Amino acid sequence: MPGDALIDGYSIPDGSCDELLEHDGTPKPHVASLVATLRRLGPQTLMEAGRRRDAIFMQQGITFEVSGSDGERRDRPFPLDLVPRILTGAEWTVIKRGLAQRIRALNAFVDDVYHGHEIVRAGLVPWSLIVSRPSFARAVHGVRAPGGVYTHVSGCDLVRGGDSIWRVLEDNVRTPSGISYVLENRLAMTRLVPELFAGHRVRPVDNYPSLLLEALQAVAPGVESEPTVVLWTPGPLNSAYFEHAFLAREMGIELVEASDLVVRDATCYMRTTAGLQRVHTIYRRLDDDFIDPLDFRPDSVLGVPGLVRAYRAGTVAIANAIGTGVADDKAVYHYVPEMIRFYLEEEPILENVPTYLLSDDKLRKWVLGRLNELVVKPTSESGGKGVFIGPQASAAELEQQARLIEAHAERFIAQELVHLSTVPTETGDGHLAPRHVDLRPFAVFGEEIRIVPGGLTRVALREGSMIVNSSQGGGSKDTWVLDDGASPDLVLPAVVPRKPPRLPDIRYGGWHGQAQQQQQQQAALGPPASR
Amino acid sequence: MLARIAQELFWLGRDMTRAEHTARMLDGAFHADVPGTPGERGVTLSWNGVLAVIGAKPPAPGEEAAEGAAAEAVHSAPAGILGRGEIAPLLTLDTENPASVVSCVYRARERARTLRDVISTEMWEALNSFYLSLGRYDLEAALATGPYSVYQDVKERCALFWGLLVKTMLRDEARSFLDAGGRIEGADMVLRMLRVAIPVGDTAGAFDEPAQAHEAEAIALLHAVGGVQAFRRHVRSGPSLNSVGSFLLYESAYPGSVLASLDELRDALEIADQTPRSAPPVLRLGRLIADLELQQRTVDRPEPLVEMLARVQAELEQIDREIDDRYFAVAALSMVHV
Repeated sequence: MPGDALIDGYSIPDGSCDELLEHDGTPKPHVASLVATLRRLGPQTLMEAGRRRDAIFMQQGITFEVSGSDGERRDRPFPLDLVPRILTGAEWTVIKRGLAQRIRALNAFVDDVYHGHEIVRAGLVPWSLIVSRPSFARAVHGVRAPGGVYTHVSGCDLVRGGDSIWRVLEDNVRTPSGISYVLENRLAMTRLVPELFAGHRVRPVDNYPSLLLEALQAVAPGVESEPTVVLWTPGPLNSAYFEHAFLAREMGIELVEASDLVVRDATCYMRTTAGLQRVHTIYRRLDDDFIDPLDFRPDSVLGVPGLVRAYRAGTVAIANAIGTGVADDKAVYHYVPEMIRFYLEEEPILENVPTYLLSDDKLRKWVLGRLNELVVKPTSESGGKGVFIGPQASAAELEQQARLIEAHAERFIAQELVHLSTVPTETGDGHLAPRHVDLRPFAVFGEEIRIVPGGLTRVALREGSMIVNSSQGGGSKDTWVLDDGASPDLVLPAVVPRKPPRLPDIRYGGWHGQAQQQQQQQAALGPPASR
Repeated sequence: MLARIAQELFWLGRDMTRAEHTARMLDGAFHADVPGTPGERGVTLSWNGVLAVIGAKPPAPGEEAAEGAAAEAVHSAPAGILGRGEIAPLLTLDTENPASVVSCVYRARERARTLRDVISTEMWEALNSFYLSLGRYDLEAALATGPYSVYQDVKERCALFWGLLVKTMLRDEARSFLDAGGRIEGADMVLRMLRVAIPVGDTAGAFDEPAQAHEAEAIALLHAVGGVQAFRRHVRSGPSLNSVGSFLLYESAYPGSVLASLDELRDALEIADQTPRSAPPVLRLGRLIADLELQQRTVDRPEPLVEMLARVQAELEQIDREIDDRYFAVAALSMVHV
């Protein structure tokens, strides 16, 4: 059968589980329809769809900047793999609840760090750790964000190990990106391979811009009518600019750069053709370090002088709040389960990946003894840079990593290796092979926490690789959360199907409409007359 | 100019606009339908909705029974699965069905043949290529696998036609009738869509059903006219059926709104008519526009949207008849005698 060629020799790596297929290659029950359709379409169709996807993405400018081997940065079509990743309603409910809980705790932590330090007083998190994080912002000590919300947009990365249990790998509450790809991926899938959806009911994701806008409006400081919300981008040369422009367009808000903003009398304004217009909420997509040369890096040309002053005065809301980065540091991650217990008095629904802080001597020695089994990450990097994977390292690399750890233990953390789950992925010749994936759902915190069903599934395109970041050669997949009646939170009552009103007849006219016009008249009169 | 030619131009404009609107609506319905979620959430601008807007086949004897049977079939089959497979080809490809996209384009091309001395060469070539392309490739296969590209093509070719008109056609009586046809059809199509999508009953916001369900419908409606971005830029809050309905009816800044179309229609007729100030359709149109503008500026609208829509459509129907009477009736008389 031609379709079987699609998954010839599909071999799930040791220690991992596959999200769509069992170990013997049979599809899991909830994806039967999808796999049947894939088999029917076959490798050729898949490749053809892939070519169309690349052409469309280039045409629409859905690209990602990548440094080529010659050092040149160029645009490449965003790598979307056409085989979706599918989650059942039940799985999603657990993830959703766990994430909401986690984000609430992180938010409370940020508030605590800049106010009473209760969690430090309780002896649960060392103050020295918090204060030594590069993203700890002294400038906002004592400032309460409007509405008490600091982590307006968060993207926590989840992974599923060989034991099938979901764990949080990493928190991202500074400027998590990727939501635009989630939305564009879904759109592309419905256009390129609509037949894959047959037999499945997939929850929509396209309400994210509305959710975000509502949240940004909700936290605007005291104003009765429509608050002015803007999206602040470093500019078109930024690698995530596509997303900035996308979100601004979808939300219908201004896309501003630093030169458009000005602070007068501790109030933030934007320069318009009609003079200065007050800005109430800024969704900023640049790091704290650059936002205000008066309070942060003085050499920043991307910042707005006096912005922190306005923020302190409470006249402008900034999303995510200044100083929130203290919560997504990889060392602080270790304490998040404690935060959940402390602030919320609940047990964590989602567990961390077991993590070890290397500043402790005994722990460090133990870790060094097991270096070839563990993953080591620098606490201050992002995007997968500098990640060391023990089991894949050569003897020389092991030694080098050990030396780095000995020299600067406080700059690293070690984690147990998670055997990331796999999903069938197209390998370039139309065939499917298992590739490792993670999941980044996106949450919006305004008046309440809302999470878009699914999120960005990032896939490592190279065989055996577990680095999924797009800057390191990763791709993405559309993520489906099935509407299978297993989500009790989805309480939308049935909209009664309505009978449309009786509309006037569609008219036809002129010479060539004569036949239709006559038909209509004759129908009103009786049996058709001959012309 | 010749009444017969004016009428052909008018209907050329209408056919082209109808083809484009139908294609956009089908694309919108497809977009909402593919992920398979409608089901109980009943996106009204779904297949049945589109069918109702287009008005299926023109009524023929025995239509009631056929309608009933079709309606029954729709209710008994799982939602979405029956609709897409049957209705999309019917409204796109079926040459027997005068309401299909293909039929509209065929008619437009036939009309353009008689108008070759009136419309510009570039316009004719664009339309002719459009017609030829529909016969050339396997539309049915394309529709089954990638309907988006079929509708995209239709949109592009229609845009080309109108773009060339703006660039190359003399601003005379002939062009005015072509414009007028396009505008009146545009207004009518949007009205029909709004009337199908917005429920009879309370639009003042007191729905029992939650806002989320209606937001999906409102977005589907915007997709169907291509007005998503315009709406988001203009109305900086989430779409609701009421806000979208008002936007598409009253917002003169949006070129696809009913008010904007009617405004342009009036401009076109004022050029076309020798004595516009005493022309019944122009006067009636002026009154309707003034009424809409008043409604637009009134914050607390006394008249619910649904009733307004019905009223506007009835008025538009009347204006259509008066246009017929004033400019084309003379030609119709001659056709009867043949």
